[in-house]
Amino acid sequence: MAEPAQPAPAAAPAPVELPPAGPGEVALVVDGRPVVVPKGTTVLQAAERLGIVVPHYCYHPGLSIAGNCRMCLVEVEKTPKLQIGCATTAAQGMIVRTTTPRVTSTRNGIMEFLLINHPLDCPICDQAGECRLQQYSAEYGTGESRFVEEKIHHDKRQPIGARVTFDGERCIKCTRCIRFCDEVSKTGELGLFERGGHAIIGAFPGRPLDNPYSGNTVDICPVGALTWRPFRFRARVWFLKDTPSVCAGCARGCNVNLAAYDGRIHRITPRFNEEVNSYWMCDIGRQSHEALYARARLERPLVRQAPTPAAGAPAGPATAGEALDRAAGLLRAVTSRFGPDALAAVVSARLTLEDLYLAKTVLGGLVGVSRLIVPPHEEGEDDDLLIRKDRTPNARGAELLGLGAPDAQGLVRLSDDVRAGRLRGLVIVGEDPVGDGLLGEEALRSLEALVVVDSWKSPTIQAAHAALPAAGYGEYDGVYVSFAGRAQRARQAVRPHGLADPPWVVLRELGRRFGLSQAYAQASDLFDEVASHVPALAGLSYRSLGDGGRSIAGA
Amino acid sequence: MAYEPLLLRNIHREDSRSIDVYLAHGGYQGLRRALKETTPEAMVEEVKNSGLRGRGGAGFSTGMKWSFLPKGLEKPRYLCVNADESEPGTFKDRLLIEKDPHLVLEGTILSAWAIQSRTAFFYIRGEFYAGERIFRRAIEEARAHGFLGTNILGSGFDLEVIPYRGAGAYICGEETALLESLEGKRGLPRIKPPFPAIVGLYGCPTIINNVETLANVTLIAERGAAWYASIGRPKNTGPKLFCLSGHVKRPGVFEAPLGTPLLTLLNEHAGGMLHRDRPLKACVPGGSSMKVLPAERCDVLMDFDSLAAAGTMLGSAGGMVMDSSTCMVAALLNLAEFYEHESCGQCTPCREGTGWFTKILRRLEGGQGRAEDPDLLLDVARKVEGNTICPFGEAIAWPVQSYVTEFRSEFDAHVARKGCPLAVAARS
Repeated sequence: MAEPAQPAPAAAPAPVELPPAGPGEVALVVDGRPVVVPKGTTVLQAAERLGIVVPHYCYHPGLSIAGNCRMCLVEVEKTPKLQIGCATTAAQGMIVRTTTPRVTSTRNGIMEFLLINHPLDCPICDQAGECRLQQYSAEYGTGESRFVEEKIHHDKRQPIGARVTFDGERCIKCTRCIRFCDEVSKTGELGLFERGGHAIIGAFPGRPLDNPYSGNTVDICPVGALTWRPFRFRARVWFLKDTPSVCAGCARGCNVNLAAYDGRIHRITPRFNEEVNSYWMCDIGRQSHEALYARARLERPLVRQAPTPAAGAPAGPATAGEALDRAAGLLRAVTSRFGPDALAAVVSARLTLEDLYLAKTVLGGLVGVSRLIVPPHEEGEDDDLLIRKDRTPNARGAELLGLGAPDAQGLVRLSDDVRAGRLRGLVIVGEDPVGDGLLGEEALRSLEALVVVDSWKSPTIQAAHAALPAAGYGEYDGVYVSFAGRAQRARQAVRPHGLADPPWVVLRELGRRFGLSQAYAQASDLFDEVASHVPALAGLSYRSLGDGGRSIAGA
Repeated sequence: MAYEPLLLRNIHREDSRSIDVYLAHGGYQGLRRALKETTPEAMVEEVKNSGLRGRGGAGFSTGMKWSFLPKGLEKPRYLCVNADESEPGTFKDRLLIEKDPHLVLEGTILSAWAIQSRTAFFYIRGEFYAGERIFRRAIEEARAHGFLGTNILGSGFDLEVIPYRGAGAYICGEETALLESLEGKRGLPRIKPPFPAIVGLYGCPTIINNVETLANVTLIAERGAAWYASIGRPKNTGPKLFCLSGHVKRPGVFEAPLGTPLLTLLNEHAGGMLHRDRPLKACVPGGSSMKVLPAERCDVLMDFDSLAAAGTMLGSAGGMVMDSSTCMVAALLNLAEFYEHESCGQCTPCREGTGWFTKILRRLEGGQGRAEDPDLLLDVARKVEGNTICPFGEAIAWPVQSYVTEFRSEFDAHVARKGCPLAVAARS
């Protein structure tokens, strides 16, 4: 083997006028169009700036350059061989061509190579519809193969990790997954084994792909080789509708897409945000929608008809109006008999800023609740990548509204006060303190008024006088403020389950019974009002938050 | 004209590999003189002026390669000796390592000194178990004589040479795959640029030279650039080891000046064709990855430029001689199987193309060829050539192109006669 001899470069055609490049910049020409880019930009990225797509499989902006797929080969003047756009640094005066017959023919060739040992099982492949092989076959392939031989066979359903399945036949060995585990999760479970056409991605012995970020390998796999097991064969992706949103799995606030079909969220994938999560998200967040469907939802309002809760009569279905009337009546009775100190509320840092704002103004203001408690939800430790031990999305939002930082002692004191009879009424929104083992059901049964707003049938609801179903994550719009002080919009991807309403709607309707006059027709009305009260949010609106959110001053 | 061997001057001596024999015949005199009388910069110049071109295959100027190193010495520099000789038909470096390791080691020390590298690695092919043992012993002997270690011969220059035996992968002869392997990783070629002279072993400036190249550096240090440049032909200077194998009477390694005619090597050095009644059909002059020459074009000079002009390359000078009994489809299939097996699998065209070649050729040889197969082979080769990370792509694309083009009728006959005509003839 030796370095190949090089033919002489072809003569250059008429030059294109180069724009001036500043210091630290270079000017080049791609397909006859000049562009100025910072030094160090690759040819592929420079083309991208012009809207010129240089097709690629192995290149991923969040990973190191591998240069192995060879799909991005382009012509660079004065260089005899085609150059890979992903690894060629743009240079002053460089002339790049991405659509010449030579480039086109080479792309045809690469596509043919990639498919000769590919099973072409698109009809049953989960990646179908968002597969780079399909996309580029349509755009750059010839539509036929000259390969008539037996294909190389590999295991088609290897559980390479706890949540990821590997199909060795679909794999094109771009090594994105290997590089992700080496460079981003820094867990290094994956490697390339064997050689030549038999080369295959695999997990090292005893090191399955079980890191908390394993799902990202599925996202960045350009083909159907790595699939997310919970999503396998669940939905054809072309039926899914993506809604840009924010993950509610922890205080990081990873930007995500909620993929819904037929009234159900089927998949959560990360959405690029340089300042929050780059291209990535954790497996916990990726699975967070499963909670919506894993436990029984509270489908409709419930009201306990028995005169005294101690009688323990089961709650029965009611209309929202009946439930709210009953809640308002009981709460009013407690304040009139025992004073406002006998009334408290537990609200969740999983609620949106809008929910929490109405909790504060309606419960704290109109209803006259003496204290609002925000329980913490912590698990493990912060890691070096994305995961925060604060598993709520909006603790900073609660703080901004003056509800204080989540505090475990709040519930302890509350529990003591219930037992001591100092506390007679309680409103709980978005929390299940009984299920979480923080409050005893017996203690709650001693209350004169227990009003619960939540998404699931919970042990806490068992003790409630009135329970109202709340829309869950992905079922309504709102804003979370991340631990780093970034206000971001979570959005509705599916309709609320059953008769559920967003918590802020429930609170608004309860507020009506205490004289609330504002219309608050939509969540954005509430956000606008919050923004006018909270200096850190001044001037912000849903529109200005956009899809990527905004870092807020002084947060 | 009798040619005095230079590279092979010691190999027939008894115990040629011992330092005593080496020293008794002028060994390490070049090193002594260089360290005492000249400077590293002057040594680089001397090698440049000698016209020495790399003997690993590419034929690039050795002195020029050295001068690509960055000027500063902020980072350590490394010299890596490429002793991963794996090209089919090539077995010259093994001879030097096993028979005259000190000739190689002296050149290694000289070259390390010239480029100011204090650590040199000797990356030797996995199968060269004996060679590694012999070379390790040579290192110990050289150290005992003060040619290695600290303050070599009082010059203030320190050097350690570290032998490392690979695992026997052909691809690790590719210089960047060699570096990866040396770093303990899978032997996958790197994207160039950056070139190893800038970012090489452990991210440091690195020069990789072939075993025979370094043996030539010893000669240059002994007798000077002008003397060296007088051997061979202009721009193709110095002595060369030629391997001849295949259908010849006396296969082996032969030393002759660059520019010696191929037919002289074949008929005189290798004793001519193996069978009187089977004339020369084809010869690959430069190792398996180079283009094949049909017999009528074998009247060529064996040097870099002459063979390039003839449409092939000197490569590693592993000449493979095929007589009239050779089926060129079977010969190419044999090669293709080797390259399929050795492809690292990293980049698409080589990973997929090498296996495809094999499958087509196996069908052709087995009688299931289709009329379009020869052209398909050519087109697949065209799609591989120039589009891979490393020269491995060419190493199989070129043979495919040249075998099919030069012996097209034989490929077509395999299709028409549903099998190998030679095999059919042998059966009938």
